[in-house]
This record gives sequence, C-alpha cells and structure tokens, in this order.
Amino acid sequence: MSDVSGPGSADPFDAAGAAGTPGGRHGDLPEAALRRLEATSFSSGLSVPDFAACLDLGLQPVALVQGFCVMQWGWYGAGGTMRGMSPYIGGQQTPGAYSETYRCPHGFVSNEHRSWGQNLEQPWVEEAWNKGYHTAYGRMLEEAGTLGAHGVIGVMDQVSNVADTGTTEFHFLGTAVTVEGGPPPAGGVPWSTYLAGQRLTKSIEAGFMPIAVVAALASVRVWAYCMTEYYMEGSMGGWGNNMGPALVEQVSKAHMASRQLARKHVRQQLVGDELHGATIDVVTRELSAGDEVIDCTLRGNRVRRFKDWDPVVLPRPTVRLS
Amino acid sequence: MSLGADRDTAPIQDVRAEMLKGAQSLAVAAPPSKERGITSDLSVDEALLLHAAGWEPLDLVTGVAVVSVPVGVWNWGRGSISLASDAHDASVDQASRLLRGECSKVHGHGVVGVRVDVTVNPHHIDVELVGTAVRPMDGKDKSGRGTDAALAMPFVSDLSARDFTLLERAGWMPVGLAFGASFVYAPRRTAGTAIKQKGQNVELTNYTEAMYSARESAMEKMQRSALGAGGEGVVEVKVTEGPMGFARHAIGFTAWGTAVKLVAETHQFVQPQVVLPLDDAVVTFEAANLRSSGQGKGRRR
Amino acid sequence: MTEETTQPGEAVETPPAPAPAPAPAPVPHDLPKDAVHRLEELEHGLFTSDLSVNEFLLVKEAGFHPLGFVMGSSIYHIGLQTRKWGQSQELTKLTEAMYTARELAMTRMEEEAQELGADGVVGVRLDVNYYEWGSDSAEFIAFGTAVKAEDGTSYRNVQGKPFTSDLSGQDFWTLMQTGHTPQGLVLGTCVFHIAHRKFTQALGSMGQNVELPNFTQALYEARELAMTRMQDEATQLQASGIVGVRLEEKSHQWGSHTIEFLAIGTAVTKRSGEVTLPKPTTIISLDN
Repeated sequence: MSDVSGPGSADPFDAAGAAGTPGGRHGDLPEAALRRLEATSFSSGLSVPDFAACLDLGLQPVALVQGFCVMQWGWYGAGGTMRGMSPYIGGQQTPGAYSETYRCPHGFVSNEHRSWGQNLEQPWVEEAWNKGYHTAYGRMLEEAGTLGAHGVIGVMDQVSNVADTGTTEFHFLGTAVTVEGGPPPAGGVPWSTYLAGQRLTKSIEAGFMPIAVVAALASVRVWAYCMTEYYMEGSMGGWGNNMGPALVEQVSKAHMASRQLARKHVRQQLVGDELHGATIDVVTRELSAGDEVIDCTLRGNRVRRFKDWDPVVLPRPTVRLS
Repeated sequence: MSLGADRDTAPIQDVRAEMLKGAQSLAVAAPPSKERGITSDLSVDEALLLHAAGWEPLDLVTGVAVVSVPVGVWNWGRGSISLASDAHDASVDQASRLLRGECSKVHGHGVVGVRVDVTVNPHHIDVELVGTAVRPMDGKDKSGRGTDAALAMPFVSDLSARDFTLLERAGWMPVGLAFGASFVYAPRRTAGTAIKQKGQNVELTNYTEAMYSARESAMEKMQRSALGAGGEGVVEVKVTEGPMGFARHAIGFTAWGTAVKLVAETHQFVQPQVVLPLDDAVVTFEAANLRSSGQGKGRRR
Repeated sequence: MTEETTQPGEAVETPPAPAPAPAPAPVPHDLPKDAVHRLEELEHGLFTSDLSVNEFLLVKEAGFHPLGFVMGSSIYHIGLQTRKWGQSQELTKLTEAMYTARELAMTRMEEEAQELGADGVVGVRLDVNYYEWGSDSAEFIAFGTAVKAEDGTSYRNVQGKPFTSDLSGQDFWTLMQTGHTPQGLVLGTCVFHIAHRKFTQALGSMGQNVELPNFTQALYEARELAMTRMQDEATQLQASGIVGVRLEEKSHQWGSHTIEFLAIGTAVTKRSGEVTLPKPTTIISLDN
C-alpha cells in the first residue's frame, strides 16, 4: 500500500511519503501525544449519529488523532525581485510548469511604465505548502498507525496563517478506526477520508473505498504589464480613452492556470483513482493594481471502486407531507 | 435524504460485509495504474444517481473571466448603466466559453452542478464557473443534436445531479446557463416634489418605473440568452438585486437560471412520490448540504 | 405609469375592504414598456420560472404548463400619522399605505400574467425593500410563475382574473389532488401603535407578575383586524376556505411600538369531491 500517499517519492507532491511509517516507530510525535494515545478508553470527534453509523459499518473507533505542522516561508518566493525583472535571477528558484510573458504594445520605456509583465507559477510556494500539509497529515496517520488503526474517518483539516508572522499552521483532526475482523491495509498506512456517518456508509454501499484525503495548492503570481494595470484601474493611463469593457487577458489566464495546476497536482496524487466531493478554494491577494497572487487549493476524497455498481432507483418528484 | 424512500425498492445490503470487502481490497497492494484519475465535485449520492441515469463524471472543470469596467461608469447619472451590463455579459460569455472548452477537451457532453460566482468590482467584473464534466456511459448523444454537436457545444447547467436526472427522466435536457443583468442609477426626487409628498400616501411612480424597468430588462436579457442557446424554458431562475457596495447610488439586478429543452417527443409524466417524513425536524434533500461532507465547506450559491 | 394610481379604481375588479380598512386598491393599467416587451418575447415559445426542477415537474404533473416568471412592483411613499404616546390605536393611514402598495404590486403581477394568457400564478412571494435614497418610502414587490392548464380548462377565479397563490409547486400539486382550486392570494393588514406605559403605571406593577390587559387587548385587536380583513377578501372571491395562513409581525422602520400585523394565505374553492392523493410513503431522513 505504498501508494497511499502518492505516486512515489520522486514526485514533489509526495511529501506524504514521510507518513509511510508503519505503526511501531514513534517517529516525531510529541510525548504528550503518546501519553494520550496510551489511554484505554476511546475518544472520537464523531457526533452521535455519525458514531452510530460508524458502528453500523463495523468500524470500531480507537481514538481522536491529530497532526500539526507550522511552516514558515516567504509567501512571495522571490519577493525581493524588482518589478520587471525575472524572479529566477541568480538561479535560486526553479520555474514552474506555467509562465507567460506580456509585452507593452506602446513601445515606450520609462520607470513608471510597466513595459513587461509575467504570469508565473510559484513552485516554491506550492512545495512549501505541500510539505506542511503532508507533514501534518503524515503525523495524524502516524498517530493512527501507532494505535494499530486501519483508517481515519471524519478528517478535518485547517490551514491558517498564524497572525502576521509569515507562518502557516496545518492542523489535521480525525477519528482513527479499526475494521472489525478486517485486515490492515497493505503497507500498514491507514486509509483516510473527510467523510463520516451516513455519507461514508453510502460511499461504501456504492462500492467506493476511501484511500486518502488529497489536497494541493497552486500558486500563480501576476506581474501586471501596463495594459493589465490600466484595465484593473479602469483608466487608460493617458493611452487613449473612451475604453469599453475589455477582457483582462493576463488576469483571466492566471486564474484559469491556477485551477488547472491545482487539478494537475491533485491528479498526480490520484494514480488512476477517483476524486470525490472536491472543493476549490481560491484566495486572491492583491498587491497593487493588477499585481496579485492567486492561491488555489483543491481537496477531496481519493476513492477506489472495489465492486461493481449496484442499481439505484432513479428519483421521482417528491412531495412532502409534514 | 429523500432518496431513502426510493431505496426501499433497492436491494438491502449488509454494509458490514461491504466494509469488509472494501478493507480486503486495500489489504493487497494495488497494481500500478496508468489511468488518468477522475476528479469531480460530486458527492457520492450524486455520483450514484448519475450512474443510474447512465452518465459518468470525467473531470472538474472551470471557467474564469475578468472583464474591465472603464472608470467613471459608476458616477452619478440617469437611466441605465449599459457599459456595466455589457461588461457583465462579456465576462459571463467568456467564462462559459472556457468552461465548455475544458469540457470538450475531456470529451464531455455537458457540465452539471455548476457553481456560479459573479463579483462586481468597481473596475472589473469577475465570473467564476466550476462544475463537473459528464458524458453518457454509452457515448451516445442524449441531447438530440448528435454526438459531434454535443461534444462541440456541451450543455452547461447549475442543476444538481439529482435535478439533472429528474429532468432527464421527464424528457428534458439542460442547454446552457442563461444570464441577464442590468444596472441603473437610483432615481432622484426633486426637492419640490419631496416637500409636496411629505406626509402623504402616494406611489412614487417614476421610482417604480425605473426599478421595474431595470428588473424587467435583466429578465429580458436572460430570456434572450436562453432563446439564443436554443432553450424552450428556464428553470430555477434566481434574481438578485441591490445597491453596489462601492457606489450606493448604483443598483444592480441579475437574473439567471438553466435553460432547458424538451428532447423527448412529449413531456414524460412521472407519478410523483408522496412521502411522509417521520423526523421531528424535516430536512430536505439539498445537494449543497451533501457536498459539505465533514469539511464545513459547502457549495456557495 | 400614470399619476392616477392613488385614486380608487373600478370597485368591480378589486374588492373594497371593510371600514376602517384601507381604501379599495387602485388598478393600474400601466405596465412599463420593458415589461410588455419582455412578455411579448415570452410568447415565442420560451418559458421562465423560478420553480425548482421538482416543482416544475409537479406543476406539469398537475396538468399545468409554466408560461413565465411574472412580477409587479410599486415604490410607495408612506405617509405620516401622529401617534399618541399613551394610546393604543390603529394607524389607518399606515395600514392603508401598506395595503395599497401591496395591492398595486400584486395587481401589476396579475396584469403581467393576464398578458401571457395565464390561468394563475403559483409560488408568489411578496417582498418589501428599503433603499437608502428613499426615506419614508419602500418598494413592494410580488414575484411568481404564471401557469396555464394544458387541457384548455379555465382556472381563472370568479372575477375572471388569473388566480394567485403563494403555494410551492409541491403544495400546488397536493392541493389539486385534494379536489381544490386556488382562487387568490388574500391578505389583511393592520398597522397598530402600542401605547407606551406611563411611568406611574410601570412603577405600580414593578416586580409583580401581572397581565397587562391593555397590551393584551391591543395585540389581540390588531391581529383580529388583520385576519378579518383577509377573510373578507376570501369572501369576495367566493372561496370555501383559506389554506396556509401565515401571520407576520414587523416593525419595518417605525420603531418598536408600531407594528404591522399581516395575515396572508391562499383562498381555495372545492372543485370536485374526489381526493386522488396517493398513499404517502413514510420515511426517516438520514441526513442532518
């Protein structure tokens, strides 16, 4: 089951490879965690209906497990770079898969005039996020693995910035469970899912076995060139007037690229499996007119079919008498 | 969920046995797969329903467009602000075009469950569409236009998978999203009229007409966009209205919904099901609720 | 729009409400150009509707076809009325404003439906909007979906006008199955000023658990007035009853002592003796 966390350690999005420690080795869990996990009674973050549904499935809750990781990095990567200069200067940074340049149509050069613009993927931001996310995730799985759990259900993840310190906290919480009479997953790494309760039951009934929660961030930086700046400010900056609505191509493309990149990163973690219930969250941080960073997070449940579809009766219009 | 009633005709399963089967399937290492994974924002219920109706998800697809609004557009004036509604239309069109493009690329016949986000900023109008591209499992066109046309111009719909299957069962198919918007300057009363009307019960007819017309105009644009897409009707029309946050004297009206078309010979009647919920608090089926499974992040409408 | 709208219209078409109830609602024949234009477009074989797919299919199942999303609106300047600090009383001028403005919006919506040749309007919503630029005024809006019977039977009400109803698609289908037909959305309103208590009175009952009879009486009376007016409207429509009555209480922008009591429901008449509702399936929903 080495593919629980990703396609292989060569992949930059496979920081979760660190999680592949089977139960027994107490890796880097803090002492308090180990003490808590030794308790004999179970704890669980499940609501009563979810708890009941979990027992109904033959899942035995073991403990509430969690994982943390606080990461610090320069959000802006090559933040010191001056406008109009490539952020790759000096060779400290590797370019991402996506970048596009825009050139001023006015043939005019001045300090004020943005004659050059670029959209670029910021792999250093993505990798750092990915590392933080998967380290926290790996720690949660490690806690679960230490307890001999087979899976983690009802996973909640939270990625939040710690005040203004330039650090980001990744926090995972879930309920570790064992499948009564079931074998442990291959490789000993527990499976995991955001689902719990009836939704998990339905998923199992339908023949979808959860494998892992997957998430990826795509970060695209927009260095506006003159046209983008003017459009986003609504003025023509003296270069003609009476402007009608126009597509802001640079920004639109950056948005599309961020979503496509996030999807690509997630797909690398799927290895042919399906992703269910995906959610996209986009945060746009505007730095100045047209200059912005678009961070797109895509997360969902990686699932695998283990049996053929069962027939479902198609819905009919319903009327409720209540 | 409402499906519960339907399930009584489906075979009852031993979920424990299924869980064990699932666990056993993971106990052996999976053979390396060369397949391209499927991504979708469908919940399990939606995936099940689509499958039952003969459709399969392909990919999570998006369309985003940012269209500029020239400066000065929101300044005080009279009547309608047509540059703003032009920008709105251009943004919506471009986003739909991109969404359709992504769908065609994965050989989808349409996009279901599209989440629509329209943000009006002082200088640009942003439109984001996110949905799941689907195709019939047998690859045969179901829209009555032929497979080539279906691939070239996939349908787009904000209907949930449940509503999509319901509609299809009744012989209808979605065509596309129909949008309409209009922006107007708030009407002003002259000081003289205001004094005359003080204390009286009186209809402010020119106000009424201004707002009434603006609302009708948004609806009319939506209708035209539906007719243009070949629709015979628009269901689940949503209307929004209100002053712009950045220019309170400018009021925006939008109307949008899914344009639908009858593809069967006639409307297929489906005997409705009458259910009597036994819960204390009745919860209706809503795809948005199902989507938020465990993450606290639902589909925003 | 003409200025005649504050004058009483033809009494035949709009029932006069009983005294001291509001004046008969005026009848505007004044849809804005854009509205007429839009409705003409709808006749080119397109329907629009805010019904959900479930509701749409149920309306079809009931033998109706949606024709179009219809609306009516009126921005109304609400007059002033002096209130006596210590007296509970109906503020007839405000009652009249609230009633007339809603009727204006409703009538325009009915006109739009008539324009489309509809038998009725389902899923009617009534909203009140306030704008920053219009002090003492509010916009009253009515929305709904115009429907027409597919078999050509007329379902218009006794006044020959399309029926209106705030029933959802589900409720509409269910009502039709019970052998009833909607006649019209009926409403009654009463704006009431509740007396402030004199300092000495408040002092007298301080620390005691006592009923305050004049408060009870005032609230009682206001609600009764609203309900009676609603019933009178139903009588005008020769309805056999009202379903889905809601009683809403709102202070709008008048401060806490002035309250509008609004009673609203769908007047229905019995069509046939048959109840054809299928036996319900009992379910327990699994979601929470």
